[in-house]
Amino acid sequence: MSTESVTDDDAERKKNRYHFDRHTPEYREQFTEITGEMLSKCPVAWSDTYGGHWVAAGHSEVFELARSAEYVSNDHDPYNERRGYHGISIPAPNTPFRGGFIEMDPPEQRHYRQALNPYLSPAAVNRWRPLVDEVIRASLNEKIETGELDFVDDLANIVPAVLTLAMLGVPLVNWDIYVEPVHASVYTPPTSPDMARIQQSRIAMRDDMSRQLAEIRANPRPGMINGLTQAQIVGAPAPDNELLGVISLIIGGGFDTTTALTSHALEWLWQHPAERARLSAERDTLLDPATEEFLRYFTPAPGDGRTISADCEIAGQRFKEGERLWLSWAMSNRDPEVFPHPNEVDLARTGNRHHSFGLGLHRCIGSNVARMVFKRMVVAVLDRMPDYACDPARAEHYQTIGIIQGMKHLPATFTPGPRIGDGLAETIARMQVVCDEQRLAEPVTVRKGAAEIG
Amino acid sequence: MKVQVDPERCQGHTLCAMIAPDLFTLDDVDGHSTAIDGEVPAGQEAKAAEAIRSCPEQAISVIP
Repeated sequence: MSTESVTDDDAERKKNRYHFDRHTPEYREQFTEITGEMLSKCPVAWSDTYGGHWVAAGHSEVFELARSAEYVSNDHDPYNERRGYHGISIPAPNTPFRGGFIEMDPPEQRHYRQALNPYLSPAAVNRWRPLVDEVIRASLNEKIETGELDFVDDLANIVPAVLTLAMLGVPLVNWDIYVEPVHASVYTPPTSPDMARIQQSRIAMRDDMSRQLAEIRANPRPGMINGLTQAQIVGAPAPDNELLGVISLIIGGGFDTTTALTSHALEWLWQHPAERARLSAERDTLLDPATEEFLRYFTPAPGDGRTISADCEIAGQRFKEGERLWLSWAMSNRDPEVFPHPNEVDLARTGNRHHSFGLGLHRCIGSNVARMVFKRMVVAVLDRMPDYACDPARAEHYQTIGIIQGMKHLPATFTPGPRIGDGLAETIARMQVVCDEQRLAEPVTVRKGAAEIG
Repeated sequence: MKVQVDPERCQGHTLCAMIAPDLFTLDDVDGHSTAIDGEVPAGQEAKAAEAIRSCPEQAISVIP
Protein backbone atom coordinates (compact mmCIF):
# COMPACT_ATOMS: atom_id res chain seq x y z
CA MET A 1 0.00 0.00 0.00
CA SER A 2 1.38 3.43 -0.90
CA THR A 3 1.82 6.13 1.72
CA GLU A 4 -1.03 8.07 0.18
CA SER A 5 -3.50 5.21 0.35
CA VAL A 6 -2.46 4.49 3.98
CA THR A 7 -3.29 8.12 4.74
CA ASP A 8 -6.59 7.84 2.92
CA ASP A 9 -7.37 4.63 4.73
CA ASP A 10 -6.51 6.27 8.07
CA ALA A 11 -8.71 9.24 7.30
CA GLU A 12 -11.55 6.87 6.48
CA ARG A 13 -11.06 4.80 9.64
CA LYS A 14 -10.87 7.93 11.77
CA LYS A 15 -13.72 9.82 10.16
CA ASN A 16 -15.66 9.91 13.43
CA ARG A 17 -13.65 12.45 15.38
CA TYR A 18 -14.21 14.04 18.75
CA HIS A 19 -11.86 16.24 20.75
CA PHE A 20 -11.92 14.29 24.00
CA ASP A 21 -9.95 15.43 27.04
CA ARG A 22 -11.16 13.81 30.22
CA HIS A 23 -8.43 15.44 32.34
CA THR A 24 -9.91 18.94 32.06
CA PRO A 25 -12.37 20.51 34.53
CA GLU A 26 -14.67 21.19 31.55
CA TYR A 27 -15.10 17.47 31.00
CA ARG A 28 -16.46 17.11 34.54
CA GLU A 29 -18.65 20.19 34.27
CA GLN A 30 -20.08 19.25 30.85
CA PHE A 31 -20.10 15.49 31.33
CA THR A 32 -23.82 15.03 30.57
CA GLU A 33 -23.68 17.12 27.37
CA ILE A 34 -20.43 15.60 26.08
CA THR A 35 -21.71 12.11 26.83
CA GLY A 36 -25.02 12.74 25.09
CA GLU A 37 -23.23 14.10 22.05
CA MET A 38 -20.78 11.21 21.77
CA LEU A 39 -23.48 8.58 22.33
CA SER A 40 -25.71 10.01 19.62
CA LYS A 41 -23.06 10.96 17.04
CA CYS A 42 -19.94 8.87 17.56
CA PRO A 43 -20.13 6.01 20.09
CA VAL A 44 -16.57 5.18 18.99
CA ALA A 45 -14.50 8.22 18.03
CA TRP A 46 -10.91 9.16 17.29
CA SER A 47 -9.55 11.92 19.51
CA ASP A 48 -6.35 13.84 18.72
CA THR A 49 -5.53 14.32 22.41
CA TYR A 50 -2.55 12.62 24.15
CA GLY A 51 -0.90 11.50 20.95
CA GLY A 52 -4.20 10.36 19.46
CA HIS A 53 -6.45 7.62 20.81
CA TRP A 54 -9.83 5.98 20.35
CA VAL A 55 -12.66 6.66 22.76
CA ALA A 56 -15.50 4.16 23.20
CA ALA A 57 -18.61 5.65 24.80
CA GLY A 58 -21.52 3.50 23.53
CA HIS A 59 -22.74 0.69 25.77
CA SER A 60 -22.69 -2.05 23.12
CA GLU A 61 -19.36 -0.81 21.72
CA VAL A 62 -17.72 -0.79 25.17
CA PHE A 63 -19.24 -4.22 25.83
CA GLU A 64 -17.74 -5.66 22.64
CA LEU A 65 -14.34 -4.05 23.05
CA ALA A 66 -13.87 -4.85 26.74
CA ARG A 67 -14.59 -8.50 26.06
CA SER A 68 -12.25 -8.82 23.03
CA ALA A 69 -9.14 -9.88 24.92
CA GLU A 70 -7.62 -11.41 21.80
CA TYR A 71 -7.39 -7.97 20.14
CA VAL A 72 -7.26 -5.63 23.11
CA SER A 73 -4.32 -5.70 25.55
CA ASN A 74 -3.87 -4.37 29.09
CA ASP A 75 -0.12 -4.94 29.03
CA HIS A 76 2.18 -2.31 30.48
CA ASP A 77 5.73 -2.94 29.32
CA PRO A 78 7.89 -0.07 30.62
CA TYR A 79 11.21 -1.75 29.71
CA ASN A 80 10.13 -2.71 26.19
CA GLU A 81 10.54 -6.43 26.76
CA ARG A 82 7.48 -7.27 24.66
CA ARG A 83 5.80 -4.64 22.52
CA GLY A 84 6.25 -1.56 24.67
CA TYR A 85 2.56 -1.07 25.46
CA HIS A 86 1.48 1.50 28.05
CA GLY A 87 -1.08 -0.34 30.17
CA ILE A 88 -4.31 1.32 31.28
CA SER A 89 -3.26 4.98 31.52
CA ILE A 90 -3.84 7.58 28.82
CA PRO A 91 -1.60 9.53 28.53
CA ALA A 92 1.11 6.92 29.12
CA PRO A 93 2.40 7.06 32.70
CA ASN A 94 5.91 8.34 33.30
CA THR A 95 6.63 5.79 36.03
CA PRO A 96 8.46 2.60 35.07
CA PHE A 97 6.13 0.37 37.13
CA ARG A 98 3.46 -2.07 36.08
CA GLY A 99 0.34 -1.39 38.11
CA GLY A 100 -0.38 -5.00 39.04
CA PHE A 101 -2.45 -7.51 37.08
CA ILE A 102 -4.75 -4.88 35.57
CA GLU A 103 -1.70 -4.02 33.46
CA MET A 104 -1.09 -7.63 32.41
CA ASP A 105 -2.62 -10.04 29.93
CA PRO A 106 -3.37 -13.73 30.53
CA PRO A 107 -1.99 -16.15 31.53
CA GLU A 108 -0.01 -14.04 34.04
CA GLN A 109 -3.06 -11.94 34.85
CA ARG A 110 -5.21 -15.02 35.45
CA HIS A 111 -2.67 -16.56 37.83
CA TYR A 112 -2.68 -13.48 40.06
CA ARG A 113 -6.47 -13.40 40.11
CA GLN A 114 -6.67 -17.08 40.94
CA ALA A 115 -4.37 -16.44 43.90
CA LEU A 116 -6.60 -13.59 45.16
CA ASN A 117 -10.12 -14.85 44.38
CA PRO A 118 -10.46 -16.89 47.60
CA TYR A 119 -9.88 -13.70 49.60
CA LEU A 120 -12.35 -11.60 47.62
CA SER A 121 -15.29 -13.83 46.61
CA PRO A 122 -18.72 -13.03 48.08
CA ALA A 123 -18.31 -15.86 50.60
CA ALA A 124 -14.86 -14.57 51.59
CA VAL A 125 -16.00 -10.96 51.91
CA ASN A 126 -19.11 -11.72 53.98
CA ARG A 127 -16.86 -13.04 56.76
CA TRP A 128 -15.62 -9.48 57.35
CA ARG A 129 -19.00 -7.85 57.85
CA PRO A 130 -18.97 -7.88 61.70
CA LEU A 131 -15.54 -6.23 61.71
CA VAL A 132 -16.64 -3.61 59.17
CA ASP A 133 -19.67 -2.75 61.33
CA GLU A 134 -17.38 -2.26 64.33
CA VAL A 135 -15.07 0.13 62.45
CA ILE A 136 -18.07 2.09 61.13
CA ARG A 137 -19.65 2.32 64.57
CA ALA A 138 -16.39 3.54 66.10
CA SER A 139 -15.73 6.07 63.29
CA LEU A 140 -19.16 7.61 63.82
CA ASN A 141 -18.62 7.61 67.60
CA GLU A 142 -15.76 10.05 67.15
CA LYS A 143 -18.21 12.69 65.86
CA ILE A 144 -21.69 11.65 66.94
CA GLU A 145 -21.80 13.86 70.07
CA THR A 146 -20.63 16.98 68.22
CA GLY A 147 -23.33 17.10 65.54
CA GLU A 148 -20.74 17.71 62.82
CA LEU A 149 -18.56 15.51 60.63
CA ASP A 150 -16.92 15.24 57.24
CA PHE A 151 -18.25 12.12 55.54
CA VAL A 152 -15.00 11.77 53.58
CA ASP A 153 -12.41 12.34 56.32
CA ASP A 154 -14.34 10.86 59.22
CA LEU A 155 -16.00 7.83 57.64
CA ALA A 156 -15.60 6.98 53.95
CA ASN A 157 -11.80 7.34 53.93
CA ILE A 158 -11.32 5.27 57.06
CA VAL A 159 -13.43 2.14 56.70
CA PRO A 160 -12.30 0.92 53.23
CA ALA A 161 -8.67 1.58 54.23
CA VAL A 162 -8.85 -0.37 57.50
CA LEU A 163 -10.62 -3.30 55.84
CA THR A 164 -8.23 -3.43 52.87
CA LEU A 165 -5.19 -3.50 55.17
CA ALA A 166 -6.83 -6.21 57.30
CA MET A 167 -7.42 -8.34 54.21
CA LEU A 168 -3.86 -7.80 53.00
CA GLY A 169 -2.44 -8.82 56.40
CA VAL A 170 -1.01 -5.35 57.19
CA PRO A 171 -1.42 -3.99 60.77
CA LEU A 172 -4.69 -2.03 60.92
CA VAL A 173 -3.11 0.82 62.86
CA ASN A 174 -1.07 1.65 59.73
CA TRP A 175 -4.20 2.84 57.91
CA ASP A 176 -3.28 6.50 58.21
CA ILE A 177 0.09 5.92 56.50
CA TYR A 178 -1.90 4.80 53.47
CA VAL A 179 -5.00 7.01 53.35
CA GLU A 180 -3.44 10.38 52.64
CA PRO A 181 -1.15 9.41 49.73
CA VAL A 182 -3.77 7.23 48.03
CA HIS A 183 -6.51 9.83 48.29
CA ALA A 184 -4.49 13.01 47.70
CA SER A 185 -2.35 11.73 44.86
CA VAL A 186 -5.48 11.11 42.80
CA TYR A 187 -6.84 14.65 43.06
CA THR A 188 -3.69 16.78 43.41
CA PRO A 189 -2.49 18.21 40.07
CA PRO A 190 1.24 17.64 39.39
CA THR A 191 1.79 21.41 39.46
CA SER A 192 0.32 21.87 42.96
CA PRO A 193 2.62 23.31 45.67
CA ASP A 194 1.30 20.50 47.89
CA MET A 195 2.80 17.86 45.58
CA ALA A 196 6.17 17.65 47.38
CA ARG A 197 4.46 16.79 50.66
CA ILE A 198 2.26 14.20 48.93
CA GLN A 199 5.35 12.66 47.30
CA GLN A 200 6.83 12.28 50.78
CA SER A 201 3.71 10.51 52.00
CA ARG A 202 3.80 8.22 48.95
CA ILE A 203 7.38 7.29 49.74
CA ALA A 204 6.39 6.49 53.34
CA MET A 205 3.58 4.27 52.04
CA ARG A 206 5.86 2.50 49.56
CA ASP A 207 8.41 1.91 52.36
CA ASP A 208 5.75 0.41 54.59
CA MET A 209 4.52 -1.86 51.77
CA SER A 210 8.07 -3.12 51.15
CA ARG A 211 8.57 -3.68 54.87
CA GLN A 212 5.29 -5.64 55.18
CA LEU A 213 6.14 -7.77 52.15
CA ALA A 214 9.60 -8.61 53.54
CA GLU A 215 8.15 -9.39 56.99
CA ILE A 216 5.48 -11.67 55.56
CA ARG A 217 8.00 -13.46 53.34
CA ALA A 218 10.17 -14.10 56.41
CA ASN A 219 7.33 -14.94 58.83
CA PRO A 220 4.13 -15.78 56.94
CA ARG A 221 0.89 -14.42 58.41
CA PRO A 222 -2.59 -14.67 56.85
CA GLY A 223 -3.68 -12.22 54.17
CA MET A 224 -3.56 -11.45 50.48
CA ILE A 225 0.15 -10.52 50.64
CA ASN A 226 0.91 -14.01 51.93
CA GLY A 227 -1.25 -15.52 49.18
CA LEU A 228 0.70 -13.53 46.60
CA THR A 229 4.10 -14.62 47.92
CA GLN A 230 2.99 -18.27 47.74
CA ALA A 231 1.47 -18.02 44.24
CA GLN A 232 3.00 -19.61 41.16
CA ILE A 233 2.79 -17.07 38.34
CA VAL A 234 3.47 -18.80 35.02
CA GLY A 235 5.40 -21.48 36.86
CA ALA A 236 7.48 -19.37 39.25
CA PRO A 237 7.03 -17.13 42.30
CA ALA A 238 6.58 -13.44 41.43
CA PRO A 239 9.42 -10.96 42.11
CA ASP A 240 8.98 -8.23 44.73
CA ASN A 241 8.61 -5.38 42.23
CA GLU A 242 5.63 -7.10 40.59
CA LEU A 243 4.08 -7.90 43.98
CA LEU A 244 4.43 -4.27 45.07
CA GLY A 245 2.56 -3.31 41.90
CA VAL A 246 -0.19 -5.79 42.78
CA ILE A 247 -0.41 -4.57 46.39
CA SER A 248 -0.60 -0.97 45.11
CA LEU A 249 -3.40 -2.00 42.77
CA ILE A 250 -5.36 -3.59 45.62
CA ILE A 251 -4.86 -0.48 47.77
CA GLY A 252 -5.68 1.94 44.94
CA GLY A 253 -8.74 -0.09 43.97
CA GLY A 254 -9.86 -0.68 47.54
CA PHE A 255 -9.63 2.82 48.97
CA ASP A 256 -10.56 5.82 46.90
CA THR A 257 -13.25 4.22 44.71
CA THR A 258 -15.47 3.17 47.62
CA THR A 259 -14.86 6.54 49.27
CA ALA A 260 -15.98 8.25 46.05
CA LEU A 261 -19.13 6.17 45.73
CA THR A 262 -20.13 6.69 49.36
CA SER A 263 -19.62 10.43 49.43
CA HIS A 264 -21.50 10.99 46.17
CA ALA A 265 -24.40 8.79 47.29
CA LEU A 266 -24.67 10.55 50.68
CA GLU A 267 -24.60 13.94 48.96
CA TRP A 268 -27.33 12.83 46.51
CA LEU A 269 -29.49 11.45 49.32
CA TRP A 270 -29.23 14.76 51.15
CA GLN A 271 -30.33 16.56 47.96
CA HIS A 272 -33.31 14.17 47.67
CA PRO A 273 -34.82 13.88 51.16
CA ALA A 274 -37.90 11.90 50.09
CA GLU A 275 -35.66 9.33 48.40
CA ARG A 276 -33.47 9.21 51.50
CA ALA A 277 -36.50 8.43 53.67
CA ARG A 278 -37.68 5.84 51.17
CA LEU A 279 -34.28 4.13 51.00
CA SER A 280 -34.13 3.96 54.78
CA ALA A 281 -37.68 2.61 55.12
CA GLU A 282 -37.42 0.11 52.25
CA ARG A 283 -33.77 -0.84 52.67
CA ASP A 284 -34.48 -4.59 52.69
CA THR A 285 -35.55 -4.48 49.05
CA LEU A 286 -34.18 -1.14 47.87
CA LEU A 287 -30.59 -1.08 49.10
CA ASP A 288 -29.32 -3.61 46.52
CA PRO A 289 -30.77 -1.92 43.41
CA ALA A 290 -29.97 1.54 44.83
CA THR A 291 -26.32 0.52 45.25
CA GLU A 292 -26.16 -0.59 41.62
CA GLU A 293 -27.81 2.66 40.56
CA PHE A 294 -25.33 4.80 42.50
CA LEU A 295 -22.55 2.73 40.93
CA ARG A 296 -24.00 3.35 37.47
CA TYR A 297 -24.72 7.03 37.91
CA PHE A 298 -21.50 8.08 39.65
CA THR A 299 -19.09 5.51 38.12
CA PRO A 300 -16.24 6.15 40.59
CA ALA A 301 -13.62 4.66 38.22
CA PRO A 302 -14.76 6.28 34.96
CA GLY A 303 -12.78 4.18 32.48
CA ASP A 304 -9.65 2.26 31.53
CA GLY A 305 -7.11 2.52 28.74
CA ARG A 306 -6.15 -0.37 26.48
CA THR A 307 -3.88 -1.01 23.48
CA ILE A 308 -5.05 -2.69 20.27
CA SER A 309 -2.85 -5.81 19.96
CA ALA A 310 -3.78 -6.88 16.39
CA ASP A 311 -5.50 -5.24 13.44
CA CYS A 312 -9.20 -5.93 13.82
CA GLU A 313 -12.73 -4.73 13.23
CA ILE A 314 -14.90 -4.60 16.36
CA ALA A 315 -18.28 -2.93 16.82
CA GLY A 316 -18.13 -1.70 13.23
CA GLN A 317 -14.83 0.12 13.68
CA ARG A 318 -11.47 -0.89 12.17
CA PHE A 319 -8.50 -0.63 14.55
CA LYS A 320 -4.74 -1.00 13.95
CA GLU A 321 -2.22 -2.72 16.18
CA GLY A 322 -0.59 -0.33 18.64
CA GLU A 323 -3.42 2.22 18.75
CA ARG A 324 -4.60 3.32 22.17
CA LEU A 325 -8.22 3.01 23.27
CA TRP A 326 -10.15 4.56 26.16
CA LEU A 327 -13.09 2.47 27.37
CA SER A 328 -15.45 4.85 29.11
CA TRP A 329 -17.45 2.96 31.71
CA ALA A 330 -18.96 6.29 32.81
CA MET A 331 -20.27 7.32 29.39
CA SER A 332 -21.49 3.84 28.48
CA ASN A 333 -23.44 3.88 31.76
CA ARG A 334 -25.54 6.75 30.36
CA ASP A 335 -26.51 5.08 27.08
CA PRO A 336 -30.27 5.54 26.55
CA GLU A 337 -30.34 2.33 24.45
CA VAL A 338 -29.86 0.38 27.68
CA PHE A 339 -30.90 2.77 30.46
CA PRO A 340 -34.22 4.64 30.12
CA HIS A 341 -33.80 8.20 31.47
CA PRO A 342 -30.05 7.63 31.82
CA ASN A 343 -29.33 10.95 33.50
CA GLU A 344 -31.75 10.36 36.35
CA VAL A 345 -31.14 8.30 39.48
CA ASP A 346 -33.83 5.64 39.85
CA LEU A 347 -33.13 3.77 43.08
CA ALA A 348 -35.31 0.84 41.99
CA ARG A 349 -33.91 0.61 38.44
CA THR A 350 -34.07 -2.87 36.92
CA GLY A 351 -31.96 -4.39 34.16
CA ASN A 352 -29.04 -2.30 35.43
CA ARG A 353 -26.24 -3.67 33.27
CA HIS A 354 -23.81 -0.98 34.30
CA HIS A 355 -20.09 -1.13 33.54
CA SER A 356 -18.82 0.45 36.76
CA PHE A 357 -16.73 -2.59 37.69
CA GLY A 358 -15.52 -3.04 34.13
CA LEU A 359 -16.26 -6.10 32.06
CA GLY A 360 -14.66 -9.29 30.86
CA LEU A 361 -11.62 -10.88 32.40
CA HIS A 362 -10.47 -7.64 34.11
CA ARG A 363 -13.77 -7.16 36.01
CA CYS A 364 -12.99 -5.44 39.34
CA ILE A 365 -11.80 -8.19 41.67
CA GLY A 366 -12.85 -6.13 44.71
CA SER A 367 -16.45 -5.50 43.67
CA ASN A 368 -17.85 -7.61 46.52
CA VAL A 369 -15.81 -5.64 49.05
CA ALA A 370 -16.92 -2.33 47.59
CA ARG A 371 -20.60 -3.21 47.68
CA MET A 372 -20.52 -4.58 51.21
CA VAL A 373 -18.58 -1.67 52.73
CA PHE A 374 -20.70 0.90 50.89
CA LYS A 375 -23.98 -0.63 52.05
CA ARG A 376 -22.87 -0.94 55.68
CA MET A 377 -21.69 2.70 55.76
CA VAL A 378 -24.89 4.06 54.20
CA VAL A 379 -27.14 2.09 56.54
CA ALA A 380 -25.16 3.21 59.59
CA VAL A 381 -25.45 6.86 58.55
CA LEU A 382 -29.20 6.52 57.94
CA ASP A 383 -29.60 4.97 61.40
CA ARG A 384 -27.34 7.16 63.50
CA MET A 385 -27.67 10.56 61.81
CA PRO A 386 -30.93 10.32 59.87
CA ASP A 387 -31.35 14.10 59.60
CA TYR A 388 -27.85 14.91 58.34
CA ALA A 389 -27.55 18.00 56.18
CA CYS A 390 -24.55 18.57 53.93
CA ASP A 391 -22.89 21.95 53.62
CA PRO A 392 -22.82 22.72 49.89
CA ALA A 393 -20.46 25.66 50.39
CA ARG A 394 -17.80 23.37 51.83
CA ALA A 395 -18.49 20.18 49.84
CA GLU A 396 -15.54 19.68 47.52
CA HIS A 397 -15.56 17.51 44.42
CA TYR A 398 -12.42 16.45 42.57
CA GLN A 399 -11.72 19.14 40.01
CA THR A 400 -11.22 16.56 37.28
CA ILE A 401 -12.61 13.05 36.86
CA GLY A 402 -10.00 11.62 34.50
CA ILE A 403 -8.97 8.93 37.00
CA ILE A 404 -11.50 8.87 39.84
CA GLN A 405 -14.79 10.71 40.18
CA GLY A 406 -14.36 11.48 43.86
CA MET A 407 -14.85 14.02 46.62
CA LYS A 408 -12.22 15.66 48.80
CA HIS A 409 -14.66 16.76 51.48
CA LEU A 410 -18.32 16.42 52.36
CA PRO A 411 -19.00 18.23 55.65
CA ALA A 412 -22.40 17.74 57.29
CA THR A 413 -24.30 18.65 60.43
CA PHE A 414 -26.89 16.53 62.25
CA THR A 415 -28.71 16.24 65.58
CA PRO A 416 -26.09 14.95 68.05
CA GLY A 417 -26.59 11.43 69.34
CA PRO A 418 -25.01 9.13 71.93
CA ARG A 419 -21.78 7.21 71.48
CA ILE A 420 -22.23 3.47 71.26
CA GLY A 421 -19.26 1.55 72.66
CA ASP A 422 -15.63 2.57 72.28
CA GLY A 423 -13.85 4.98 69.95
CA LEU A 424 -11.81 4.41 66.79
CA ALA A 425 -8.32 3.83 68.23
CA GLU A 426 -9.61 1.35 70.82
CA THR A 427 -11.74 -0.42 68.24
CA ILE A 428 -8.87 -0.75 65.79
CA ALA A 429 -6.69 -2.25 68.53
CA ARG A 430 -9.45 -4.73 69.45
CA MET A 431 -10.05 -5.63 65.79
CA GLN A 432 -6.34 -6.34 65.35
CA VAL A 433 -6.60 -8.92 68.15
CA VAL A 434 -9.70 -10.41 66.48
CA CYS A 435 -7.86 -10.61 63.14
CA ASP A 436 -4.82 -12.26 64.70
CA GLU A 437 -6.61 -14.70 67.03
CA GLN A 438 -9.24 -15.80 64.51
CA ARG A 439 -6.90 -15.65 61.49
CA LEU A 440 -9.59 -13.70 59.64
CA ALA A 441 -7.37 -12.91 56.67
CA GLU A 442 -6.99 -16.56 55.66
CA PRO A 443 -8.53 -17.38 52.27
CA VAL A 444 -12.08 -18.78 52.33
CA THR A 445 -10.62 -22.15 51.34
CA VAL A 446 -8.95 -22.28 54.78
CA ARG A 447 -11.41 -20.42 57.02
CA LYS A 448 -15.13 -20.24 56.25
CA GLY A 449 -16.73 -18.67 59.33
CA ALA A 450 -17.50 -14.99 59.88
CA ALA A 451 -15.56 -12.86 62.35
CA GLU A 452 -16.81 -13.24 65.92
CA ILE A 453 -16.75 -10.01 67.86
CA GLY A 454 -16.93 -10.51 71.64
CA MET B 1 -38.52 -22.67 31.85
CA LYS B 2 -34.88 -23.53 32.64
CA VAL B 3 -31.89 -21.18 32.81
CA GLN B 4 -28.15 -21.69 32.39
CA VAL B 5 -24.98 -19.67 33.00
CA ASP B 6 -22.22 -19.84 30.41
CA PRO B 7 -19.10 -20.44 32.54
CA GLU B 8 -16.88 -19.00 29.79
CA ARG B 9 -18.71 -15.69 29.90
CA CYS B 10 -19.48 -15.36 33.63
CA GLN B 11 -16.96 -13.12 35.42
CA GLY B 12 -18.55 -13.19 38.87
CA HIS B 13 -20.42 -9.87 38.87
CA THR B 14 -23.00 -11.56 41.22
CA LEU B 15 -26.01 -9.53 40.09
CA CYS B 16 -27.99 -12.68 39.20
CA ALA B 17 -27.71 -14.07 42.72
CA MET B 18 -28.57 -10.67 44.18
CA ILE B 19 -31.75 -10.53 42.10
CA ALA B 20 -32.74 -14.22 42.23
CA PRO B 21 -30.94 -15.92 45.15
CA ASP B 22 -33.07 -19.05 44.78
CA LEU B 23 -32.05 -19.56 41.16
CA PHE B 24 -28.30 -18.94 41.17
CA THR B 25 -25.48 -20.17 43.41
CA LEU B 26 -22.14 -18.41 43.64
CA ASP B 27 -18.95 -20.38 43.93
CA ASP B 28 -17.30 -19.87 47.35
CA VAL B 29 -13.84 -19.50 45.85
CA ASP B 30 -14.29 -17.24 42.81
CA GLY B 31 -17.91 -16.05 43.04
CA HIS B 32 -18.83 -17.34 39.58
CA SER B 33 -22.47 -18.30 39.15
CA THR B 34 -24.25 -21.57 38.43
CA ALA B 35 -27.98 -21.86 37.76
CA ILE B 36 -30.11 -24.39 39.63
CA ASP B 37 -30.81 -27.65 37.87
CA GLY B 38 -34.29 -28.21 36.63
CA GLU B 39 -37.29 -25.99 36.14
CA VAL B 40 -37.43 -22.44 37.48
CA PRO B 41 -40.06 -22.71 40.24
CA ALA B 42 -43.48 -21.21 39.55
CA GLY B 43 -43.56 -17.54 40.44
CA GLN B 44 -39.80 -17.08 39.91
CA GLU B 45 -39.96 -16.57 36.13
CA ALA B 46 -39.91 -12.77 36.38
CA LYS B 47 -36.82 -12.88 38.60
CA ALA B 48 -35.11 -15.22 36.14
CA ALA B 49 -35.89 -12.81 33.30
CA GLU B 50 -34.59 -9.87 35.33
CA ALA B 51 -31.35 -11.75 36.09
CA ILE B 52 -30.88 -12.47 32.38
CA ARG B 53 -31.50 -8.83 31.52
CA SER B 54 -29.15 -7.52 34.21
CA CYS B 55 -26.10 -9.70 33.58
CA PRO B 56 -23.24 -7.38 32.56
CA GLU B 57 -21.59 -10.18 30.56
CA GLN B 58 -24.87 -11.47 29.05
CA ALA B 59 -23.87 -14.92 30.31
CA ILE B 60 -27.34 -16.21 31.28
CA SER B 61 -29.80 -17.75 28.86
CA VAL B 62 -32.99 -19.76 28.81
CA ILE B 63 -32.49 -23.41 27.92
CA PRO B 64 -34.68 -24.10 24.89
